Amino acid sequence: MGRSKGDLVVFIGKRLLQLIPVLLGVVLITFIFTHLAVPNPCAAWAGPKATPSVIKGCEQFYGLNKPLPVQFEDYIVGLVTGNWGIDPLTHTAVLPSILAAFPATLELVLAALFLMVVVGIPLGVVAAASSGRVADHLVRIFYLSGWSTPTYIAGAVLFIWASKEFGLSGGAFSTITSPVPTITHMSVVDAILAGSPSATADALEHLVLPATALAFINMGVATRMTRTSMLETLPLEFVKTARMKGLTEFWVLYKHALRNALITTTTVLGLTTGAMISGTVVIESIFTWPGVGLYAYDAITSYDFNGTIGVVIFFAVVVVVANLIADVLYGLLDPRVEWR
Amino acid sequence: MEYRVGAGTFRALNDVSFELPTHRVVGIVGETGCGKSTLGHAIPRLLPQPPAIVRSGKVVFRGVDLLRLPKWQMPSIRGTGIGMIFQEPINSLNPAFRVGDQVAEAVHIRRMRERGLDPTFRRDVQGTDYSRREMPRAGDVVSAPFVPPALVDRAKARSPPVSKELHEEVLSFLRLVRINDPERIVSLFPHELSGGMRQRIMIAMALSGKPGLLIADEPTSALDVTIQAQVLTLMKELMEEVQTSILFISHDLGVIAEMADEVGVMYAGHLIEFGPVAEIFESPRHPYTKALLRSIPNRYKSEGPLPSLAGSVPNLSRMPAGCAFHPRCPIARDVCRHDPEPPFVAAPAGPDGAVHRSACYFPEEVASLP
Repeated sequence: MGRSKGDLVVFIGKRLLQLIPVLLGVVLITFIFTHLAVPNPCAAWAGPKATPSVIKGCEQFYGLNKPLPVQFEDYIVGLVTGNWGIDPLTHTAVLPSILAAFPATLELVLAALFLMVVVGIPLGVVAAASSGRVADHLVRIFYLSGWSTPTYIAGAVLFIWASKEFGLSGGAFSTITSPVPTITHMSVVDAILAGSPSATADALEHLVLPATALAFINMGVATRMTRTSMLETLPLEFVKTARMKGLTEFWVLYKHALRNALITTTTVLGLTTGAMISGTVVIESIFTWPGVGLYAYDAITSYDFNGTIGVVIFFAVVVVVANLIADVLYGLLDPRVEWR
Repeated sequence: MEYRVGAGTFRALNDVSFELPTHRVVGIVGETGCGKSTLGHAIPRLLPQPPAIVRSGKVVFRGVDLLRLPKWQMPSIRGTGIGMIFQEPINSLNPAFRVGDQVAEAVHIRRMRERGLDPTFRRDVQGTDYSRREMPRAGDVVSAPFVPPALVDRAKARSPPVSKELHEEVLSFLRLVRINDPERIVSLFPHELSGGMRQRIMIAMALSGKPGLLIADEPTSALDVTIQAQVLTLMKELMEEVQTSILFISHDLGVIAEMADEVGVMYAGHLIEFGPVAEIFESPRHPYTKALLRSIPNRYKSEGPLPSLAGSVPNLSRMPAGCAFHPRCPIARDVCRHDPEPPFVAAPAGPDGAVHRSACYFPEEVASLP
């Protein structure tokens, strides 16, 4: 194995193949849990006044009267053929609903990642460069407070505070006044593509609160990892070499040291993206952000088996792909890594 | 120079005073922990502060006391003023960048300064007129008036560093250190090179700043013996071609004898003897130097085991009173065991007429030691 483009393709292919057993496990566990937790969902779906015959018909329709292994087999077959089932309350198909909601979640997660990178990483560098001094302590207080705040509290407090102070509304459906053609289904990207500054500003205004809430929780990871690996990098000899070239401290820190420290931070950011996906369930519910997280919340609260399992499978794929991207970035950042 | 570690302070450098003449090689020799590397790092202010503290002293480079210089002006001194080669080339090259780009960066910094395009560069501090397009000489005491940084053509200053001209200059510096196929080497990463090649790259990088002073901190100690010989030969040849003063730090007396014009011997943070290399080797004026010389293996005589010096270097936090060497010294007397320390002065001429500085009360008696 080496570092050629072919090696990279083989590496990515192998990792995607590993996805199959992971997904099988995910499906099995979620399937069993959902079906054991709510043994008779038809009663819930049909409401308290439903007659036994209605419930019977419902069970017939969804195949819930069949033995569990048969149900599982039916579900797997549907999964592979692209039929992920339908939502019993709205009768919409699961897979198209998830795919339609995904761009909004992607936008939210990317915005949060962007904040973590442009704010979190420089804060880590500042903390490491002033290790043990006031700036270091302030940065550590900042990220520890983010880390130790539950997502729902940070989201709710930010929502209440910002709407009072600035009249910011947050969430996507409140006041989009100037509709723009939907191309990517990401509000900010669409507004930019449409070339409308007012729509862009409006979309950003709605994005900033949920993204900040999501980023604040996970900021600690980016900052702490950057700080730690910078502290490990700074005493290394090549940092002295960079100084002895006559480089100013800014370039010594942000080019020579950070470039090496980022190798660790990238891996951790990949793992964090998985945690952020679960965070979107809470954040999207608070800000009524029309993404997969909100869909997941609705699916779980309405005993929608198919929706719940579908979302879990989808999240599993996203987490694995995020880690794969992190691994590829890791290899691109560190020239000593070979694709294996 | 002291280190503050925990509750204690260690005096790592004490009363180390010498001059480095222009275009000469001064060797610093001593055993592990004697402070020679600390000295090399203290000159361009590479020691992290804290824990390092400079209590007093001066490092005068081109008429400027570096220890009094504000920290933000130090980059102006480094690279084009003082260059440095470190002990382990695998650690001293950045693993994430191609070696060609790393050398190019050093060349780029110098070229920007030569053209007045480096807005952070303080010519008044540096005191080098690069328009002469020749190697600066160390020891040139230039008292240039303060010239405010030229209003920089921003576009030019940001021009991408990898221009063709720059690339050619990088190749020429790699050829200077006898790298045969620099076109191939520039695109490699440090881990793809051998130890000897890495050290050549380091030397090329340090020289590409055209520094007036080059500090070589044990540049060959981490290399195999054969590679070590190659690198030493290369450095010896380069000394003829490149006009620069060199501070050569080594624990190896043989290497120092080969490379240096003058040599300083260090013991427990003190400079105890300093003089022309031939004189120090022929007629040392300090018992420690004598003992060091005695421990060099002689391939023509074999008289049983190699003599060694009893005892070990004193703990820097619990230095003995008086001369630091007295517990191990064969000629120590009462005066050596009490403060003050022996002064570092020109020793009286011995029977052979040698005169150089040493920190011993009885320099004449050293010659009669076995």
